[in-house]
Amino acid sequence: MRVIRDSIRKKSGFMKELKQHRILYLMCLPALIVLILFCYIPFTGIWMAFTDFNVVDGIFGSKFVGFDNFTYFFNGNSTAWRVTFNTLIINLFCILFGLIVPISIAIFFNEMKGKLFKKITQSAMFFPYFLSWVVVGAIIYGFFATDVGLVNRVRETLGYEPISWYASPQYWKGIIIFANVWKWSGYNSIIYMAAMSSFDVSLFEAAEIDGANKLQRICYLTLPMLKSTAVVLVLLSVGRIFYGDFGMIYGIVGNNPSLSDAVSVIDTYVYSSMKTLGFSYSTAIGLYQSIMGLILVTLANKFVKKINDGEGLF
Amino acid sequence: MKIKRSYSDRVLKTIAYSFMGLFAIICLYPLILTLSVSLSSEREVALQGYSIFPQGFSFNTYIYIFAHSGMKILKSYGLTIFVTVVGTLGALLITTMISYAISIKALRYRNMIAFICNFTIIFSAGLIPWYIMCVRYYNLRNSVFALIIPSIFSVWNMFLLRTYFSHIPQSLYEAAKIDGANYFEMYYKIALPLCKTGILTVGLMYALQYWNDWWNALMFINDKKLFTLQFYLYNILSNVNAISSGVVPSGAAANITLPAETVKMAVTVITIGPIIFLYPFVQKFFINGIMTGAVKE
Repeated sequence: MRVIRDSIRKKSGFMKELKQHRILYLMCLPALIVLILFCYIPFTGIWMAFTDFNVVDGIFGSKFVGFDNFTYFFNGNSTAWRVTFNTLIINLFCILFGLIVPISIAIFFNEMKGKLFKKITQSAMFFPYFLSWVVVGAIIYGFFATDVGLVNRVRETLGYEPISWYASPQYWKGIIIFANVWKWSGYNSIIYMAAMSSFDVSLFEAAEIDGANKLQRICYLTLPMLKSTAVVLVLLSVGRIFYGDFGMIYGIVGNNPSLSDAVSVIDTYVYSSMKTLGFSYSTAIGLYQSIMGLILVTLANKFVKKINDGEGLF
Repeated sequence: MKIKRSYSDRVLKTIAYSFMGLFAIICLYPLILTLSVSLSSEREVALQGYSIFPQGFSFNTYIYIFAHSGMKILKSYGLTIFVTVVGTLGALLITTMISYAISIKALRYRNMIAFICNFTIIFSAGLIPWYIMCVRYYNLRNSVFALIIPSIFSVWNMFLLRTYFSHIPQSLYEAAKIDGANYFEMYYKIALPLCKTGILTVGLMYALQYWNDWWNALMFINDKKLFTLQFYLYNILSNVNAISSGVVPSGAAANITLPAETVKMAVTVITIGPIIFLYPFVQKFFINGIMTGAVKE
């Protein structure tokens, strides 16, 4: 009896809360509708991964095939491992350089004196963040085009044979990683500068009086103090390591068939197999990616919470 | 001892200056290259290749583009501006409302709402289900809404804004409540004016996202009338790319007219044009906004 009464009271409490803060809940509504339409309703489409989807029968009318799509992806050919490998290796290097370069920028920025020089360099470094991957792709084309590209011109003047870059897959992982670092370093360095601006100045002054030189101050004070910010950022990127940057790969390489083996990541593979191998198969690959992502993000979050005094991403 | 110390400091300083100078050059050099090629004459570029100084300086390429496909580019420009303005305003309205609402401690289910938002970052259905829903049920193919609606709400930006809103003391709201204000009045009379920096930062992020977006166009748009600038550039480049790879048979390649080198770079410059002009003004806001958002409490 009491349980029922409690649940009634709880229910009326729910209604009362909705009524009392009606305006606030209404203000949340547009955003929630967008999320429901574009994130939650698509969850029903995951069912396609276990069917042989055809347009006529729709998502739930198509034939159920169990895990066939997954078996085909993992056993059928080496594609599964190749795209997974590409995604992981490109992301790993991006994380590594995305750690070293921005931290160096932030530290060196602090060591510089001239205000104008600081302003100019910071403006220059931050600018690539504002460019889209398509524009970056155009710029890269300017460097690596076979006939007119800058790199081949330089090679010719130095007496080397020109390389047909857009037909040589072995270079493109490097180019893509470089482009990624180029685009993001300025932005990421700002996050480290923000962390550094909250450091206690008196610590550094005391170290200077004790005779520590700049290098020692950087190694024994700045770097250890930056560690927690760096670890959190790295963990967050590790949580997303199974997600390739579709815009980056497609903006730079496009659908160039002779490079796709070397650079296609899970995201671009899903997109291109949607057209050739059908919806069900590509949904299955997408699901594989999402589940790996879920596991890693959850693990990463656990570690972030440990470091960050219980405050994680979620 | 003292000499040694200042020696190491000087070395460090030299490294700092050269690293920063070099990296700044690496960041700017490609842009100058692009600009200079677009201002070169086509014949010189074909002969000498790309170079950092304009060869045979002329505005001919730009004149050519606007004479030949002027309407196409202008329309595409107009569309991109429309999408950016409408998208940014809509996104700001939606995002500020929800982040304000869940920053109010009296709201009992605010953590649940935050979790509903959060979960979409952690787990997603993937590209294909999203695409099928958009095309089959929401009819987004070849619609201008396809360029706006799918990216109108970003959970990351919501969390950034919530940090700003949560700095507003709750007592301000209590006082306004006693004066008879409802929550919506508090939103636009108290919360919005107090969080100008945050709103501006997030607004700039949305604007940049819409201006630079070509993903939605790639997914949903075939109609040439609805090509945004970025997508227009993407199409030019991907044709060039496919031919340079040498896989497309020459017969098929002959059917695709390749734009001249200078045209490609001029379209690139046209695409980033507004960003270059606005950059000096918005850069400072951006950096301050990110810094404030990054430092928690």
